[in-house]
Amino acid sequence: MARMKFLCDAERCIECNGCVTACKNENEVPWGVNRRRVVTMNDGLPGEKSLSVACMHCSDAPCMAVCPVDCFYKTSEGVVLHDKDLCIGCGYCFYACPFGAPQFPQDGAFGLRGKMDKCTFCAGGPEPDFSQAEFKKYGRNRLAEGKLPACAEQCSTKALLGGDADVVADIYRQRVLTRGKGSEIWGWGTAYGRPDKPAAKPGAKS
Amino acid sequence: MLEHRDMRAVVRLFLVAVLALFAQFTWAQDAGSQKEQVQRQQTQPLNNAPVWRDVRGGENPYQTTQARGIETNVLVQTEGEIWRQIRNGPVTVYGGWLITIVAVLIALYYGLKGPIKLHAQPTGRVIERFTPWERIIHWATAISFVILAVSGIVILFGRYVLLPVFGYTLFSWLAVISKNLHNFVGPVFAVCTVLMFVTFVKNNIWRAHDWIWVKRLGGMFGKREHVPSGKFNAGEKMWFWFGVTLLGIIVSITGFILDFPNFAQGRVAMQQANVIHAVAAILFMAAFLGHLYMGTVGVEGAYESMRNGTVDETWAREHHEYWYKQVTGGRAQPAGATPSAAPASPMREGWKT
Repeated sequence: MARMKFLCDAERCIECNGCVTACKNENEVPWGVNRRRVVTMNDGLPGEKSLSVACMHCSDAPCMAVCPVDCFYKTSEGVVLHDKDLCIGCGYCFYACPFGAPQFPQDGAFGLRGKMDKCTFCAGGPEPDFSQAEFKKYGRNRLAEGKLPACAEQCSTKALLGGDADVVADIYRQRVLTRGKGSEIWGWGTAYGRPDKPAAKPGAKS
Repeated sequence: MLEHRDMRAVVRLFLVAVLALFAQFTWAQDAGSQKEQVQRQQTQPLNNAPVWRDVRGGENPYQTTQARGIETNVLVQTEGEIWRQIRNGPVTVYGGWLITIVAVLIALYYGLKGPIKLHAQPTGRVIERFTPWERIIHWATAISFVILAVSGIVILFGRYVLLPVFGYTLFSWLAVISKNLHNFVGPVFAVCTVLMFVTFVKNNIWRAHDWIWVKRLGGMFGKREHVPSGKFNAGEKMWFWFGVTLLGIIVSITGFILDFPNFAQGRVAMQQANVIHAVAAILFMAAFLGHLYMGTVGVEGAYESMRNGTVDETWAREHHEYWYKQVTGGRAQPAGATPSAAPASPMREGWKT
């Protein structure tokens, strides 16, 4: 079974924000919610580098561990998803996440944040695949359509790779060998450095 | 193995706190590594090691992003994992056991020793112990405290204790109600805490005779000898200063930090506030169990004193002897004798026949 991962190649990313736009368009995410963002380091200086960041679908996901209602689950492909019907909008996943992935539609007084929203690896949510409810809450379920995430598929420089970790890593290894530089795989140590937690509990799906 | 991880997590949180204090120095370091990166690009154009070192360390080598929001230009925040280990580790495990053990010990004490009853017959004459204002403040604080305690327990421990029993959907409903109650009642409790302090502080000043009460543990153990005390005994004073005042202020301030994310405070502030809030609240609840016990089933007549505001003279003599003497003998006058003086300071001098 494939293990889905994202990989962003900082040697290739040109900060076009195409992935951000593709994500918003594909999933029709609410205004103010950024499931994916591009961060530029040393902006305007020699050696400027950019990276596209979203949920990395960690092996031992901190969001999953701290959620008071245990609304997260992991698919058999390693994608970390959550159930918005269970989410209470406490914000703990946002405190815990290393990548700043969890987003909230509001940041109101008295902790009124609304239901958490984050990157689903274009894999929808617990509702039946392709259902209206699933699309409304989580966006497109491209994985169920046999496609990869929209952000990675449309990337013009192929900096952002998303898919089976073995394939992604092979592509990246080839690139590093060919160009002789840029071997840093950003975020993988943080996201996948810990052993995989057991896959989804059936209870969370119901 | 868990303990080892917990210890490491505690040490790391401490280091993070120290780092936060010296944030200005890390900024200076940032500028240094930026310069290093620029130099490295001139000597070795393909080597970006300084940038990646900063990114891995969670520092910010002049990072920008077009996404709006809190700390969106931060690539990795490593403090979240520390917070997770402290919250899910020692706070949940030891905190849960602390509350459980205190509750069990109190139950055992009640089972073995039973309630403290009056020795002499009630006289039928009652003394006003708490004015209506004092009772209103006490019960407003008490009710909001209980709501916060129960909803907080649901949020921290519910996943491990209630979720397996209730199932996901029902527990989520309970958690939503708990979260919103907690967030809206919290500020009410903070206001009540301030009023509570102002109202009760004058009778909670520590006196020399309170040390005798502490030395004899209030006469709660052994033969339950009589220990005289003022209007409030040393146990009540400790609850007032350590519980109501100190812990009340700590949970209120950290609670406000967590309750108002609209001020865009960073994640580290939230994590630290959350840990301090949880630890203080657990100590608060453990101490509260003692207060709850003494104020209800533990001491005969204690609940009625706050419910009705009055106590029997026998109760006053047996539990708060100095206060009893102060009210009935010497300075106090019978209500009928000086009617004009009575409303001025009803707490100390007012008493009913």
